[in-house]
Amino acid sequence: MDATAQEHRLIELLDRVAARALDSARRGDSESALRELYDLTSARLYGVALRVVGNREWAEDVLQEAYLNIWRIAGNYRAALSPPLAWMGVIVRSRALDFLRRRASERADAGVELEGIVTDTVAADSPDPLDASQASQQAWALHECLRKLEARQRELVSLAYLRDLSHGELAERLRLPLGTVKTWIRRGIEQLRGCMSQYA
Amino acid sequence: MNLLDHPDLADRLAAAYALGTLRGGARRRFETQARQSPALRAAALAWQERFASMTELQQPQAPSPNVWKRIENLVAAETAPLGPVPPVANGGWFTALRMWRAAALAGGLATIAAVGAGFYLSDELTVQRMQLAQLDRARAGLAQEKAQLVAQLQATPEIRYVAVLSNDASSPAMLVTFDPKHNTLTLKRVGAFQEAADKSLQLWALPASGAPRSLGVLSGAPVVKLTAAEPQVGAAPALAISLEPKGGVPSEGGPTGPVLFKGPVLPTT
Repeated sequence: MDATAQEHRLIELLDRVAARALDSARRGDSESALRELYDLTSARLYGVALRVVGNREWAEDVLQEAYLNIWRIAGNYRAALSPPLAWMGVIVRSRALDFLRRRASERADAGVELEGIVTDTVAADSPDPLDASQASQQAWALHECLRKLEARQRELVSLAYLRDLSHGELAERLRLPLGTVKTWIRRGIEQLRGCMSQYA
Repeated sequence: MNLLDHPDLADRLAAAYALGTLRGGARRRFETQARQSPALRAAALAWQERFASMTELQQPQAPSPNVWKRIENLVAAETAPLGPVPPVANGGWFTALRMWRAAALAGGLATIAAVGAGFYLSDELTVQRMQLAQLDRARAGLAQEKAQLVAQLQATPEIRYVAVLSNDASSPAMLVTFDPKHNTLTLKRVGAFQEAADKSLQLWALPASGAPRSLGVLSGAPVVKLTAAEPQVGAAPALAISLEPKGGVPSEGGPTGPVLFKGPVLPTT
């Protein structure tokens, strides 16, 4: 299946999940569509959850919440005009960030000092070979442009987005001087702007 | 400064905004201008979309098969909000009935087998005695099984009414079920609310006309059972819970504290 066929498949499944709202007799079909959607996307989305929360058990809780969320709001997908996998990915990221915030506030309530949730290493990130049959064109463009960044810059930009971290939080998490983080992010954004404009 | 006069800077800020690294006052200023400028808004949205694809680029990992099972269960549980209560009650009855029939049938077969075996003995009288003895044993066994099943059926609660009591924000706080066979009201706390040590929650029936009538005072336990007669519950269109001084207040005076939760009484059949 090429990228476009894969996207159409996911969109069709989202439509079927949403269809039960209009006709309750279609509920069974909506449930099997959710199952198919899960089979096609859960590994990719679990990767997102794992990257944000950094713990398999938490990531599974996040994944569960995210699919229930998708089950409830699949009807909103069409209006989003996004590639389906990115739309679902953003839901997973939001649920994962909620999870971390909830945990942080529970820990703060319990009087526990907030520690770095995971130890991040800047060098660990290598550009993954992207399966072109899976990703949207937009993802492909981002992948190509991120690949052109230095590894440390790429990692900083990814972490900033996926974990919703500020310059200060990134510096603390990665034990880097604040000035360095700001410079890398600024340069990273500059390069991405130049590169992404070719794919517009 | 009007960002529209500086398209390069505007795009850079839009990217930082979407990435999440534009913070504090700079973020608020950007948002203010974006609200007035469709072009700036479009630039921010375009970057949000681009970064959203970051979620497509993460390394796939296999989640545990339990995740799907949990999702499947939760989706199934969503089918009918009041689902679990009536089907459990019916299921209980029908399962018990089926068990009773199966037990009766098994008993009958045992008897026939015993009778069949008896015919191999030559002495007619012995045969008959043995048949009688075995029939008696089978009958005694059946009677015992039947008594057990009757006791089991008696113990199975019959849920005739349910009510979900919610607070002002419609968050459920208490699940109430009524079993007329045992005259029992069961209250299960489902929210996080816990009254202070010097207060008690008191349950009231709100009749269609007339003053509220107390159905009892709740202990602090997560599940509380109260005794009530069917007319008290069935005739009330709604139930409510008020916050009262420790130990509750007399029924005649009605609630003195605020009503925290209330909800309609729904018959299950």
